[in-house]
Amino acid sequence: MKDLEQYLRDNKPVVKDDPTFILKTRNRLEAVEGIKAEVDRQYTRGRRALVIALVAGLVVGVAVTAIAFLYPVSPDSVAKGILDSLCLFLQSYKQFLLLPVALLAIALGLVLTNKPSKSFI
Amino acid sequence: MNQERFISLVKAEQEPLRRFLLGLCCGDDALADDIAQDALVRAYVASSNFLGLSKFSTWLFRIAYNCYIDHCRKPGKDYADLESREALNVASDDASDARFRYQQLYQALEKIPEKEKAAIVLFYFEDKSIKEISSILQMPVGTVKYQLNQGRGHLKQYIRL
Repeated sequence: MKDLEQYLRDNKPVVKDDPTFILKTRNRLEAVEGIKAEVDRQYTRGRRALVIALVAGLVVGVAVTAIAFLYPVSPDSVAKGILDSLCLFLQSYKQFLLLPVALLAIALGLVLTNKPSKSFI
Repeated sequence: MNQERFISLVKAEQEPLRRFLLGLCCGDDALADDIAQDALVRAYVASSNFLGLSKFSTWLFRIAYNCYIDHCRKPGKDYADLESREALNVASDDASDARFRYQQLYQALEKIPEKEKAAIVLFYFEDKSIKEISSILQMPVGTVKYQLNQGRGHLKQYIRL
């Protein structure tokens, strides 16, 4: 067994000298940095959108509540006014409702997919 | 850990790391270097998790070993002809007996189980202590000793001294 141990110690694999190894590593790490920066950017963008949506929701909610309290409207007048005409409109054109919804979805999809992104590569 | 600090640590460890993987890959230096690069990227990404509780080299070797295991588990893993790999690794003007020696060693290493091979490579090629090997391979000290013993027994069958 001693012979084998000596044999193994005497025959350590020899690594070829490769001066480009560290250079390759550095390049890969640069790429990783780029990916990390892009992920951070996306994360920040998502958080900002979330905060904006939250603030906008709060502002609109507060404004609507304030208006509702400051300018109360009798339910009868609403029922006979805007809501009635809106319901009548929707009922009359319900067969065409799908078209604008689909167009809107397609437009939204196109806008989102064609949004130019600053690539780090 | 910033990039420059990481690179400076890697510079000190690159040769042992590559030799460790070369032993695991049984002489395929291109594959060993590929796995080493992957391991370094993984280590860099996870460098914020390195708390300094173990040596940097131990931590790096553990990541490299995990990368190697991941590579072994990949479907369609195909080793090139051992002889041609070995010929690439040994300088062309080396004596033929030295070439034969490496060939015999790599062929023997290829035949033994991965854990035994890893323990043998770390203990004999990298001069790591049993405790360090235990930390790198994430197995108890007693298991490392067992793997070393088994590995030696298996190698003895394949290596003519």
